[in-house]
Amino acid sequence: MRFECRGLTFTYPEADKPVLENLNFSMAAPGFNAVFGPSGVGKTSFARILAGGSSGPGGDALIYEGISTILYSYNQERLPGWADTGSHLEKVCPPENSDLRKELVKIFKVDALLGSRFSQLSMGQQNRMNLIRYLIQDFDLLILDESLANVDEALRETIVLAVKELFPDKLFLYISHNLMEVARFCKDILVLSHPGKSKGAVVVRGRNYETGYTADPQAIDRSMLEIMNAV
Amino acid sequence: MLFRRIYQFLIVYCLGLTCLLAIKYGAGLSNYVIPGLTLIFDTAHRMLAGYFLDVLNTLSVTVLGQMISIFMAFFVGIIGRKSSWAGSFIKVMAYNIQAYPIVALAPIIFILMGDGFLSRLLIASMICYFPLLLSVLGIMASPIKDIEHFYIATGRMRWQLEVKIRAFENLNKLTTVIAGSATLAMAGTIVAEFIAADQGIGYSIRIALYQSDLACILVALFSIGIIISVYQGILETVGEQMKTKWFAPKGGDLL
Repeated sequence: MRFECRGLTFTYPEADKPVLENLNFSMAAPGFNAVFGPSGVGKTSFARILAGGSSGPGGDALIYEGISTILYSYNQERLPGWADTGSHLEKVCPPENSDLRKELVKIFKVDALLGSRFSQLSMGQQNRMNLIRYLIQDFDLLILDESLANVDEALRETIVLAVKELFPDKLFLYISHNLMEVARFCKDILVLSHPGKSKGAVVVRGRNYETGYTADPQAIDRSMLEIMNAV
Repeated sequence: MLFRRIYQFLIVYCLGLTCLLAIKYGAGLSNYVIPGLTLIFDTAHRMLAGYFLDVLNTLSVTVLGQMISIFMAFFVGIIGRKSSWAGSFIKVMAYNIQAYPIVALAPIIFILMGDGFLSRLLIASMICYFPLLLSVLGIMASPIKDIEHFYIATGRMRWQLEVKIRAFENLNKLTTVIAGSATLAMAGTIVAEFIAADQGIGYSIRIALYQSDLACILVALFSIGIIISVYQGILETVGEQMKTKWFAPKGGDLL
């Protein structure tokens, strides 16, 4: 499993400057990777281009090996409001992933919310519910665009560690503004900076902590510094 | 909802009547031009029951015409929602036909189909169909991206689901448009009866007009107003009940 980006440049129609310019990097093997960068740097545009696959805009510059299903989830998605969230999850769950759904519901602490409509949930609960329905699908690469926004730090850590443990053979791209979280839990961190800056895209190694980890504050600081220097 | 509609109509009707009476007494006009209150009450006593039956006759055509329009608007709106050649053609055609005063086509319908039920039904349907179609097309052609994304990405999107999502998200707009189109359908039926028909409230108004009997016309307008208010009130109540059933049943939405 590998994907590579060779000279990806993307400009929105009627825009003067490209949002992504000559992006070169590659990510090999499954794992929990991240895309990091300041607001407006093009993280979401990049994620949407990736989700479009080889046939989407900018697809010529993307090379996928062993990745056939790419899913993209983002934090403002909604579930339809005509039924409770439990029914929706059940309806979109492939039969073979039924146990996985039940396990995720427990880990994500949404079991008490399955009888509620989506609009009745808080933003953090909505994001968790939305992420579960992506995780129970068949996918090779899942892009999580701020998918855990508004979730408290402790629960976010539990969720990220559980996802890493439950899906060791899948590739994740986690878009987040939380520097500490990205440095601790992600394997490869693609740091994007504004086009025109000579740095372009840099891939920094994160600490990639797993369940039961012992934190090394100095190593985390080093990773965070590397990321900040790359921005 | 129902009672609010009725008393809103009564307020508007009384205001209109007061203006007429003010003109009458201000300009010193005779009862032949603008009838006095006594004459209006007297006419109401004689004609109101008959006019109510006439309005009910008109309403039956209105309801049927509106149902046909709603069905057609959804049928064409669902087909026309795609940005395909057919969809674009339907949209352009609907916008252009909407710009034409459909009621002007009524004489052609009467020449081709003669007086009677079918002509009234056709005109009622045509008059409320195009505004309905434009609203339904607008709603059905606007994607609800934050809901539809998941179903498209996972290959689960079907046209039925797409229509359900868009209808659900725009239920308020749809019920308002449908309730509003009742007035259009009623207007269409009355115009049809007014031009050429032998029954319905439009026909009765035409007779009153030929006799220059403003009191009869005012009584007819009263019965039309009351019955259309009740009909719209019922439509809105049904819409509200649908929303209550479909939307969050327990606890309501998060504030």
